[in-house]
Amino acid sequence: MKLAIEWFGNLCLIGGTIFWLWGTVQLLARRSVLFKLHGLSVSDTLGSLAIVFGLLVRIPAEWPLLLLAMISLAVWNTMLGYVLAYCSSTGGDA
Amino acid sequence: MVSIVLFRLLLWLLLTADGSGINLAIGLLVAVLLPRQRLAPDRLRDWLQVLGKIAIAIPMAYIEAIEIMIWPHRHEATIREPVRPNRSAQLVFLDIFLITFTPKTIVSHYNEAGWYDVHQIERSSRQP
Amino acid sequence: MLEIILIATILILLIPIYQAFQTEDIWQKMLAFSSISSKASIIILIVSVLRDDWWIGVVAVIILSVGNAGLMLLANVLKRIDH
Repeated sequence: MKLAIEWFGNLCLIGGTIFWLWGTVQLLARRSVLFKLHGLSVSDTLGSLAIVFGLLVRIPAEWPLLLLAMISLAVWNTMLGYVLAYCSSTGGDA
Repeated sequence: MVSIVLFRLLLWLLLTADGSGINLAIGLLVAVLLPRQRLAPDRLRDWLQVLGKIAIAIPMAYIEAIEIMIWPHRHEATIREPVRPNRSAQLVFLDIFLITFTPKTIVSHYNEAGWYDVHQIERSSRQP
Repeated sequence: MLEIILIATILILLIPIYQAFQTEDIWQKMLAFSSISSKASIIILIVSVLRDDWWIGVVAVIILSVGNAGLMLLANVLKRIDH
């Protein structure tokens, strides 16, 4: 049982790292800022959440701070994504 | 009013990771004393709906992420979506948050007249 | 295991740093910087778990919970200048 939990944590860490790699490579392509933001939301929000969750499985004793880290990661990264999308696009009736 | 204080107390307890009486009292004092804006009253049902949507959005976001990793989404489009009527500022914020949280869609502009521009990526190009 | 993850994440961190130097467009630079900042704080968290030193981790959690307020302000300032 303990081994299974440990491997679940490792799986989260590996999965998060793959998300990071995939989303960050999009930065190098010649695409619009908005298109790259979709890739970054995969890597920096979802990938990082998976990595922190993997760490949480490893050291469950520190759950309050890691939970706070996950909540603020999700909220701030999503808000930064919206702010960057809004500020970089000069359409509509801005 | 009460919900804001409870939310602040929750953040305080998570940050300090200490459930003792004195710490609880300090946290409660800070949560009550910090200035707060007047909240427009919302219907409880709207809030419960949003909470349910958040619970769905997290696995949904991972599913979408895996989808766009496996099948490349090369096309982008901007669509205009109406805001549902009678939403308070907090609920509109949560709506925008939920749309932006999922990787396929990002809100790029919010207009107070009642719509937002949603930028999304797609597998095939949309017919005009 | 955690060492491999740490090395991989540091290598991935090099991608946005390279992109920030290479691109001319200011918004692409902002994207790269936002990516660098959130990745760096996650790497700090990984290091803290690896070294079993939770005080490093507290620093990372504080960085994460304060958020990227500076980048958000900068984006708004740049938008004003553009117009």
